[in-house]
Amino acid sequence: MSIFSSMNTTASALTAQRLRMDVISSNIANVDTTRAKQVNGEWEPYRRKSVTLAEDNGQFSSFLNKAMGKEENAGNGVRVTAVNDDRETPFKLVYNPTHPDANEDGYVEMPNVDLLTEMVDLVSSTRSYEANVTVFNASKSMLTKALEIGK
Amino acid sequence: MNLFGGTISNLENGLNYASLKNKTIAQNIANVDTPGYKAKNVSFEKMLSDAQSSTISAKRTDTRHYDFEIKQSTPGVTSYENFSYRSNGNGVDMDAEQASLAENTIYYNALVERISGKFNTLNSVIKGGR
Repeated sequence: MSIFSSMNTTASALTAQRLRMDVISSNIANVDTTRAKQVNGEWEPYRRKSVTLAEDNGQFSSFLNKAMGKEENAGNGVRVTAVNDDRETPFKLVYNPTHPDANEDGYVEMPNVDLLTEMVDLVSSTRSYEANVTVFNASKSMLTKALEIGK
Repeated sequence: MNLFGGTISNLENGLNYASLKNKTIAQNIANVDTPGYKAKNVSFEKMLSDAQSSTISAKRTDTRHYDFEIKQSTPGVTSYENFSYRSNGNGVDMDAEQASLAENTIYYNALVERISGKFNTLNSVIKGGR
């Protein structure tokens, strides 16, 4: 176990939360995008993206210890496994016959982004980020204090 | 005669415990949004029993061989497997983690303070009170 391992753990979480915020920004920025991707010559609206997180205990020794029924180690933080498109929620249909992407009935397919959900997620990831900054500062003060041993 | 007594090595064990605990808390807070993650904790009793039992020492076939011991580093980290705090199966209690982080930092600082005090005492003894 190295000295800076708790700081690395926290840093991985800061990276993950920042990526979450970037993805949320992208969702909010594209709330009205009707031409995100071309599928078979047809324009498809933007699909909401979401981040999947998983615990990172990548060290070989941690798997070995688990397999041998010993205690676990503290782990290496968190990692982002995937950024997925939301294919569950249907696109929102808005009546706007003058829109260039309107279908024969005058409806436009709008992105399946819900602003309220995005705002809640944004606040949640900001709070997690702040919590991790607190942990980082605590680890830093502990290490600085340890340097004072014998002074 | 043992110059340092048991105090410094005891304090050292305490520091090891506190720094492992800090790492565990960092891991728990890092995984506050991970679905299915279960909070981990450091059990002091388990660390104590580990420290007492799991050492491997060298087998000496010749008296000129160096003698050494390896401490097996399987610290007493346990996780609460069937406790969920959120609907996605996550078991991290953020307030409790923040509280134990603050507590652990103070504990660590107290240990550092004491170990420094011990060294200062020795220093004063070595210099003959001058």
